[in-house]
Amino acid sequence: MGRQVISGNAAQAHAARLARVQVVSAYPITPQTTIVETIADFVASGELPAQYVKVESEHSALQCVLSASALGARTYTATSSQGLLLMHEVLHWAAGMRAPIVMGVVNRAVAPPWSLGSDHADTMSQRDTGWIQFYAESNQEVLDTVLLAYRLAEDPAVRLPAMVAEDAFYLSHTFEPVEIPSAGEVDRFLPPRDARAVLVPGRGLRLGSFTGPVEYVQFRRQVADAMERVPAVLRNVEREFEEITHRHHGGPLSTYRTDDADTVLVTMGTATTTARGVVDQLRAEGHRVGLAKLRVFRPFPAEELRALADSVGRMGVLDRSFTFGEHGAAATEVRGALYGAPRRPSVSSYLGGLGGRDITPGLVRKVYRSLESGGSELPTWVDLLPEEAPAHG
Amino acid sequence: MLEVRFHGRGGQGAVLASELLAHAAFLDGKWPQSFPFFGVERRGAPVTAYVRIDDRPIALRTSITVPDVVVVLETGLLRTVPVTDGLREGGLLLVNSALPPELIEVPIPVRTATVDATGIARARGLGSPTMPIVNTAMLGALARATGVVSLDAVRGSIVHVPAKPRENREAAADGFAAVRSGEGRHLPVARRAERAPPLPEGPIAAVPSSTLVTSSWRTLRPVIRLEKCTRCNFCWKYCPDDAIELDPSGFPVIREAHCKGCGICAAECPPKTIEMVLDAGARGGWGVR
Ligand code: SF4
Ligand code: SF4
Repeated sequence: MGRQVISGNAAQAHAARLARVQVVSAYPITPQTTIVETIADFVASGELPAQYVKVESEHSALQCVLSASALGARTYTATSSQGLLLMHEVLHWAAGMRAPIVMGVVNRAVAPPWSLGSDHADTMSQRDTGWIQFYAESNQEVLDTVLLAYRLAEDPAVRLPAMVAEDAFYLSHTFEPVEIPSAGEVDRFLPPRDARAVLVPGRGLRLGSFTGPVEYVQFRRQVADAMERVPAVLRNVEREFEEITHRHHGGPLSTYRTDDADTVLVTMGTATTTARGVVDQLRAEGHRVGLAKLRVFRPFPAEELRALADSVGRMGVLDRSFTFGEHGAAATEVRGALYGAPRRPSVSSYLGGLGGRDITPGLVRKVYRSLESGGSELPTWVDLLPEEAPAHG
Repeated sequence: MLEVRFHGRGGQGAVLASELLAHAAFLDGKWPQSFPFFGVERRGAPVTAYVRIDDRPIALRTSITVPDVVVVLETGLLRTVPVTDGLREGGLLLVNSALPPELIEVPIPVRTATVDATGIARARGLGSPTMPIVNTAMLGALARATGVVSLDAVRGSIVHVPAKPRENREAAADGFAAVRSGEGRHLPVARRAERAPPLPEGPIAAVPSSTLVTSSWRTLRPVIRLEKCTRCNFCWKYCPDDAIELDPSGFPVIREAHCKGCGICAAECPPKTIEMVLDAGARGGWGVR
């Protein structure tokens, strides 16, 4: 189809169409709705010969694709914010049942107070459900990553579900040029799902039934092992994707101008684009700064981070969510990964862009300035405003 | 890079205007990026949308705070929304108005252009008489007033409009022909530093929602014929947002300023004594003053 101006949500829908998904079930929620509307159009027009199952909630939507996945179908669903939270129980089921579902998530703030703005708290609070987590930075990356996610999730060495997250509005509703691969290209990259070891109607199999503690431990370990095999499989899958499309999005930790950098900021999602522009400006002004994008959050790219830390003096992590720990969600992971590293840079935690607040070039500059002057031990809320006067509720 | 900010109300097509401008810039061989800011996704609520246009991929993913061009789809917004905030020196304010630019009140000295997009949309039968869809006329005017895109590209982008492509192409050409440029009438206003409002402990609003003036969102309004009313209170119970109160004798009264015109009360009323009627001109219409 060549290059077209489409939204991030349309990129999700085109990827599902190109992946020839067989069962789609979803419940609408702003700002995800146009993903499933577009897929519904594809199904209605016959462009995508899939079953589109309408349900009454997100919990049922995920349960529906989980059942279809257990029967061997390639499935897709999408949600956001409160909808993802409602799926929480089934998220664990999907990973434990080793169902290679791919789900689009539009990162939106969690209520209260009610908000439609971009914020990663929804997916961050699902980080321990056993799903692979990708965070995209552009609409092109959204489309490509959904395709990569199917290959990765369905790989016999992995067989885990994957979510491909995109920032609300900054991608979901942003129109920009995207190269839409042809059906032929995608078919070469992504053959039909290899549906071994799944339920077969008429055969007496059970999936996810009761076990004693011994088997429970063994099964949990299987999931852990599968997650550990993701990086190696992803490397191969990305290489193959590049051979066909000539695009590569830089592995689980995608670095920018870090080679001789003494100060590196770690970002996720669309904040990365803005930060890259700031890195260029700061470099031009003589600062030795670099950038690392956490493209994959689960499994966490600890190896790559340790390799990066080896040459860096100071690191900052900008989290677009607030989670209840000593540091931001990603900052905690980074600190954990580096604790045992031979060389440990200082790691400062920054929280910003919550609830859809803009992460502006000025804000990113402020973070680099703070890092260069030593950073801080405790998290810094970078865009908090002074209050006018104390209020009484 | 050029940055354009659109201000409109839900239902007027501001978001679609930004998308069309992105498509048009792409047709001109440029790299566009467009996106909306949603507050409340409802008809009549103020909406902002952004477009960046450059020759190469854009290294910015934020809303536009220092636009080169501001496009205002309804003059009423000039009073309620700080539309000229951050407008760059030498920038342009384009307003949907039948008035000449010199009669548009602006808080900063700024090059101002006007076009009667409402008149054009009505003449071309775009949208409804109470809510004409003015976006394509405005894009035609934008092409002429700024030169950021060609009229051909704007007309080409109209394949992405859901209805009446021919009329929309004509409206774009009309807007292109009719736009007038000049200087707005400068009425300075004081600016204050950005601060968070004082907040209570926990997200609790200080006033009930029934006090919010949300009537501008509606195109229909409920009229109750009390002769047939049985005082069953169904309408009061079903109104999703407290827009009906009961008088001392138990008859329903619509809070006119708050009712959004959803029509649920009319659908639920057992003796069908509520009728939804066109709310034409209730607040001076759209985009005309
Ligand atoms: S039209 Fe809707 S908002 Fe207005 S009174 Fe009836 S139910 Fe309430
Ligand atoms: S639902 Fe109809 S009959 Fe019942 S109180 Fe309202 S207007 Fe009267």
